[in-house]
Amino acid sequence: MSVLARSVGNAFRNKIRTAAVVAVLAVAIGLALAMLVANQAVGAKVQELNASVGTTLTVNPAGGQGFEGGGEPLTTAEAETTASVANVTSVVGTKALRLQTTTTTGSTDAATTQQAGPGGGFGPGGQQATVSTNLTAAVDAGTLGNRNNASGTTTLPARTLPITATGIGAEVDSTGKALEITSGTGLGDYTSSEAKALVGTSLAEKNGLTVGSTFTIQDKTFTITGIFDAGTAFGNNAVYVTLPEAQTLAETPDELSTMIVTVNSLENVDSTKTAVQDALGTDKADVTQGQRNLETAVSSLDSVKNISMIAFIAALATAGIIIMLIMVMLVRERRREIGVLKAIGARNRTIGLQFVLESLVLVALGSVVGAVIASLASGGIASALISSNTTTTAATTTQRGGGLAGAMPNGTVPGGGMPGGGMGGGQGGPFGGASQLLTSVTASVSPGVLAAGITAVFAVAIIGALVPALLTARIRPIEVLRGE
Amino acid sequence: MIVVKDLVRQFKSGDRTIKPVNGVSFELDKGSLASIVGKSGSGKSTLLSLLGALDKPTSGDVVVDGVSLAGLPDGKLTEYRRRDIGFVFQQFNLIPNLSAVDNVMLPMEFAGMRKAARLQRARELLEQVQLDPEKHSRRTNRLSGGEQQRVAIARALANEPKLILADEPTGNLDEQTGEHIIELLSSLSRDHDTTILVVTHDRSLAQKTGRCFRLQQGRLTEEVRTGLRR
Repeated sequence: MSVLARSVGNAFRNKIRTAAVVAVLAVAIGLALAMLVANQAVGAKVQELNASVGTTLTVNPAGGQGFEGGGEPLTTAEAETTASVANVTSVVGTKALRLQTTTTTGSTDAATTQQAGPGGGFGPGGQQATVSTNLTAAVDAGTLGNRNNASGTTTLPARTLPITATGIGAEVDSTGKALEITSGTGLGDYTSSEAKALVGTSLAEKNGLTVGSTFTIQDKTFTITGIFDAGTAFGNNAVYVTLPEAQTLAETPDELSTMIVTVNSLENVDSTKTAVQDALGTDKADVTQGQRNLETAVSSLDSVKNISMIAFIAALATAGIIIMLIMVMLVRERRREIGVLKAIGARNRTIGLQFVLESLVLVALGSVVGAVIASLASGGIASALISSNTTTTAATTTQRGGGLAGAMPNGTVPGGGMPGGGMGGGQGGPFGGASQLLTSVTASVSPGVLAAGITAVFAVAIIGALVPALLTARIRPIEVLRGE
Repeated sequence: MIVVKDLVRQFKSGDRTIKPVNGVSFELDKGSLASIVGKSGSGKSTLLSLLGALDKPTSGDVVVDGVSLAGLPDGKLTEYRRRDIGFVFQQFNLIPNLSAVDNVMLPMEFAGMRKAARLQRARELLEQVQLDPEKHSRRTNRLSGGEQQRVAIARALANEPKLILADEPTGNLDEQTGEHIIELLSSLSRDHDTTILVVTHDRSLAQKTGRCFRLQQGRLTEEVRTGLRR
């Protein structure tokens, strides 16, 4: 009989006690695994939230945010100033254009004109250049579009909505999120003036465009290098060109509509926002932080993550202590047997190994039952942890998100009224969705997490079992056999 | 050949110094069967522990086949117990949840013998000690006292030791079983050419061994030479 076989046999020497020990271990191990699963799930959610919201600031011209505005436009020099602020990793300038379909403007002068953004319709007032195109908008005007086009009691003829065009300095949308190009490629060099464009899926479909197709803006022919999916009908009724190209089309080569500023970490967003605002001056630019509420939410999730990690370590330590105490008890109980084994020639390490293996048999059984417990309980435990830590945050977030949306004319923030670049991409969306993001954490026991957890449990068990194993080395056979 | 030279073991008990073994010297030839008698507390078991390297003497030496135990490190003493010594205890001291054959295999496992070889030898030894083959695979806590002592003797013989130390081997057995055990030890000593030293307070048992020593107040005297065995 080998040491292992003897250890397995010893583990089942007293079946009732073994069952009790395994049950206690299973609870501790199950709790440890459930906490690890919750930790991983919350960690993944935090990453997802950070990735979805990003650590971005939006810079608009001072007084130009909203539906009315004025002031001076942003410049490339200000972009360079912003880029030099500490913790800023990148600054992407955008230039918003309004493409008006040639056929609907009829004999309207096709030359570039600077127009103030119509109230309720566009971003920073006075920023958007209206230029002609041969494209037809993918969104029909409908009631909202025609209402916006109304003038007092006079109803104007049905109109075609403009198309959003944005010049971008990197492969991101007007809110700073990476573009999801579904076919073709990006624009390549976003800092050069080239007649290339990316079009939204619905706009491409409406106009029968594919990669390689051409269309015109201001009678200039653009080649489509890629088609993107923004995920919304409004977002897909858009065109992206390189920033210099948009500036050329608008005949404002040094101007920017907005700047998307990326900060190196969520923790630095607040301080960087202040620093950027100070660098640009409050009379020159408005710096907005779209993820403030989500930062609070992420902070709550981080608390849950920390709590679950502490609970994991505590449960792990408990399992280790249980093993140590059980094995110390067994060593004391079997002192005579250990003495006999030594008397007949067993080495200390052989006996120590036997007790360590015996403890691992108990841990293995506890891990199997614990894994079952974790798979059943981890979802509930994660939900309970999250709900208890984020109820206040979620309520606040929901309230604030709703309030912002309600403040918009007709509550149409995500609708067709506001082209990208005007309001930092419509902040009501992420605000309103925060509570849903918080409660949508899915804690499932993945093989990787399970393996990591059980490895940790076994490591702790070995450490716990080493103490009693070392105790066996101190047992002198003469002492335990003296009773003979 | 076992040579014991002026062996002393002393303990402190409060202010007193106790010497259960006080200058013991004797020699045993290979294959001899000897006994040590004495009253309870006379130091018999202490002497046996010193001979079996379970305890270290205060002074003196035990030399087994020319190898001195004095000054050997613990690892070497463990090796000595594994290779050269077989113990038979009054309480048998078998591992209760192991079968008879598994108990006998233990010393061979510790000595690194291959499983098949040790299984075969364990069965042979159990046959030699006349344990019913049906009971070879039975847990030892389900065997009678006499059967357990036979298993213990088989275990003591497992690694073909030079010296078997039996501490009151019949103390927990009835008279008839005890006699069987002594006959068994005697025959094994003869067949295996193994030196056997039996500690007992049973004078009739001691009469059946070749040499009989009396331990009194830590000092050993050879009391009787029966002439039954070398």
